[in-house]
Parts: sequence; C-alpha cells; structure tokens
Amino acid sequence: MTGDTHYDLEILAELAEGLLDATTAMRVREHLAICDPCGESLADLAAVREVLAATPTPAMPMGVALRIDRALAAEAESFRGGGVGLVEAPAWDDIMRDAPWETSSPSQPAPWERTPHRDPLPEKEPELEPAVRLGVVGDDGTVVPVVPTRRRGANRRRRWAMPAAAAAGVAAAVIGATALAAGTLSISAPPDVSPVPYAAPAAETIQYTLTDSNYNYTDAELRGSLLDYIGPGTIVGTTDNSGIDKCVRQISALVGTSPFAVDQGFYNGQEANILLFWENQAKNTVRVHVVGPQCDNVRKPGLASWK
Amino acid sequence: MNSPPETPPAADEQTAKAPVSDADLLTRHIAGDPHAFSEIVRRHRDRMWAVALRTLGDPDEAADAVQDAFVSAYRKAGSFRGEAAVTTWLHRIVVNACLDRMRRKSVRPVADDELVEAAERDTPVLDQTAEREVSMEVSAALKLLPSDQRAALVLVDMMGYSIEDAAQVLEVPSGTVKSRCARGRAKLAPILSHLRNRSDLSRVSSAKGAELRDG
Repeated sequence: MTGDTHYDLEILAELAEGLLDATTAMRVREHLAICDPCGESLADLAAVREVLAATPTPAMPMGVALRIDRALAAEAESFRGGGVGLVEAPAWDDIMRDAPWETSSPSQPAPWERTPHRDPLPEKEPELEPAVRLGVVGDDGTVVPVVPTRRRGANRRRRWAMPAAAAAGVAAAVIGATALAAGTLSISAPPDVSPVPYAAPAAETIQYTLTDSNYNYTDAELRGSLLDYIGPGTIVGTTDNSGIDKCVRQISALVGTSPFAVDQGFYNGQEANILLFWENQAKNTVRVHVVGPQCDNVRKPGLASWK
Repeated sequence: MNSPPETPPAADEQTAKAPVSDADLLTRHIAGDPHAFSEIVRRHRDRMWAVALRTLGDPDEAADAVQDAFVSAYRKAGSFRGEAAVTTWLHRIVVNACLDRMRRKSVRPVADDELVEAAERDTPVLDQTAEREVSMEVSAALKLLPSDQRAALVLVDMMGYSIEDAAQVLEVPSGTVKSRCARGRAKLAPILSHLRNRSDLSRVSSAKGAELRDG
C-alpha cells in the first residue's frame, strides 16, 4: 500500500502491540519506511502511551480515606463477627426466616437439617456466601447495588430485635409444639449422638450451668477446646428466671435439646452468651451457639471440643 | 476415655511486628482480626484510588466506587481462594465496581467522528508547566472511550501493569487486553497528539517509532 493511501491508526496500533500476522506486519512496515504521514501517526500512537504514563496518579485524598474507614467500621459494627461472621451473619438471617416463629409451617425443616448435621468445617463456610447476596461484586465479577442490599439486611436485623417479652411468648408457643418439632429433628439427628442426660426443652425447667466469665471470645477460641474457658468459671446459678433463660429456651427449642452450659461473656468485643450443647458426649464434642443480648445469633453454630 | 479434640486449639497469634503478607492479613481478617483489613486498605488505597479516578474520571464517582469495592472486599473476603494475588483480587473488585458504575450511568461509546470533533473543540493552549492541565485533558480524553478500552488503558498505560496482570484483573485473555489497548490508543491519538510536541515525550516516541519501522 503506497501512494496516497495510508493505514489507519487502528492497524498501526495493532502493529505496535504485535497483533498483526507476520505478512500484514511486514507489508505495513514496508509502507511505514516510505510514508511520512503514517510514520507520524505511529509516533502519535506512541505518544499516547507516554502521555498516559506521565500523567501523575494522585494519592487518595484524606477525606475519601476517612470515609472508607468509616464505612468499614460501620460494616464491622453491623455484623459484629469479624471476617467469617460477616459472611455468615446474613446466612443466619436466611436460616431464621424459616424458623418456627417466622413461618406458619413448622413441618418445613430448618436449613441446617437439610444439610448434613455435623459439617460446619471452616473451609466450607465461605460456600454459604453465594446465597447471601450481600456483596457489591459477585464472584463472576458482576456488581449488584449496595444500598438495597444494606436496607434488606437492616430490616432483617430489626425484625430480630424483637422485645424480649414478645420473644418469650413466641418461644413458649414453640415449646408447646415440641412434639412436632422434636419429631422433625430426630429424623435428621445423627445416629451416634449420645442420649442427652438433661431435661428436654419441653419441660418446665431446663438445666444448665450458668457462668459469668465475661471473657471475650474469638472465633478461633470457639472452635477449640472450651473446657478451660467455661468449665472452671464461677457458677452463678443453674437455672434462673432471668432474661437469659428465655433466650436459652428459645434456642433450645430450635436445637431440639437444651444446653449443658451457658456462659455470659463477649464475642469479638460484643456482649454475648455462649450456649454449649452436647454434639457427642462420648467424643467430647460440643455444639456452640453464640447469641447477643437480644437472643440474636451472632455467629454460625459450630463445633468445639470439651476436654 | 477422652479422645483428642477434633479441632486443635488455634494458636493465638501474638502481634508480630514482622511485615505480614496481604494473604496473611486477609486470613486474619477472616479469622476475626478487626485490624487486619484496615492494614490491607492502608497498603492499597492509593493505587485503588488512582485506578478508580482514572477509569471514572470523576472524583465523586471514584470515591463511591472505591468505597463500594473495599466494603465488598471486606464482606466477601471469605470467598477469596488464593488463586490470584490479593492485589489482583482487589484491583478486580475496584475495576468491576467502576465498570458497573459506568454501565449504570449507561455511558454510550462515542463514535469516531464525535471524537475528532471533541478533539478540535477541546484542544486548549497547553501550558507546558501545568501538569494539572495535562492530567485533566487526559481524563477528558479517556472519558470518550468505551469502558472496556478505558479500563485496559488505565491499567496498562497509566498504572504500568503488565498485559498479563491486566488480563488477570479484567479476567480476559492477554490478546483481548492488547487489542483493547490498541483500539483505545488509536482513538486517543488524534486527541492527544498535540502533547507529543513536549520535548521529553517526542524523543521517546520517535525512538519507539524508529524501532517499529525498522522491525
């Protein structure tokens, strides 16, 4: 191609990127050797790179940095649970939507019954995340609006923060329907679970040791051995009528059995009650539920050891 | 009687003063360390800001995009699989947040003749000393590109990432990044050509031109 015909900028840019096949590249180079306008165009293209590279990239303004810090602090506050908790907390909201007091069909199995009972392995937990639909950017790179998601999350949380009296009332109704719930639960219970030597939640009183360690638990600690933390604590009572008992009953109705130990402390700096249920007493494994002051689950139930 | 616990007690991480890798920080964040993610943000916010500002060309939009991206990264840290560097992952989230913002504002690609018009209209008398002017001019020019070309040029030409790194961030093949860069530069060349006359730039570009001409 010679004379008054020239290559367009796109061809020349592709030449510079090595995108042209060998034959075309050679033809364009031959043309460039004799065509000043095309040589100028090529120089213009190279100048684009240089101009872009020379454009200074300013540091993030302090105002923006502070704004992001605040947003992240609010994020941490609203989920209270550290990294994993962030991913899991909304899943809990989903789970609780199917809880007996949130739905009129108690025969519908709760989500943890649909999934294998004893596999809350930490490695698997992130897989809960796709159902959460919380992220701004999805795994496939698509982005969903943040604001509606946040609003939805807030509504769910608000629903959870029901008055203790109302919660107790619903919990009582649930306990009244224990026969049905227990039937559902026993189907999915693992066959090797040892008999629980404590009174069933349907009973008038449920028995557990109540301690008041005020210890600030971390997620890692609640996956490890808990005997040292909760075992030697000062027992402040076995069963009492305080607000915590209502909450314990509520959770017990959900779990299908009652806890053997409850410790009042903190989880990641937030006030929390640690409820321990026997998972397998022979193997010293316990199921740990962590609830906040409003009896809201602040951490996905997990397994720990008791020795 | 007592069998060993199924979960060994997690070793308590004491505050180590040694430099911690991004991946370790992310692991700590997932484990509940409330300070780990802040450190990740401190390390990378300037680069993330630069990417967002150049991609979106608007400080307010960029601030929103970076904030969304960091909050999203904070939430979805558990889904980070470690197959890419943490920085690549963060860049990907930021770039996607930017691209999504552009999509939602439905910025249409600009036709070539409009580009030339814009070039003629927007060519100011260049103040050689004012880097700021150049910067604004470049921003304005970039806004005329389709978003995929803009994102590629920001990463490769402005931020200086390799084609391979940019391909990982954008999750497209290297050839696609090259081709987006080529088409983007072809569109920008008429608009920014007057900047070539700055002595430092013209020297480099002639050398590059000569090299290409000579094969």
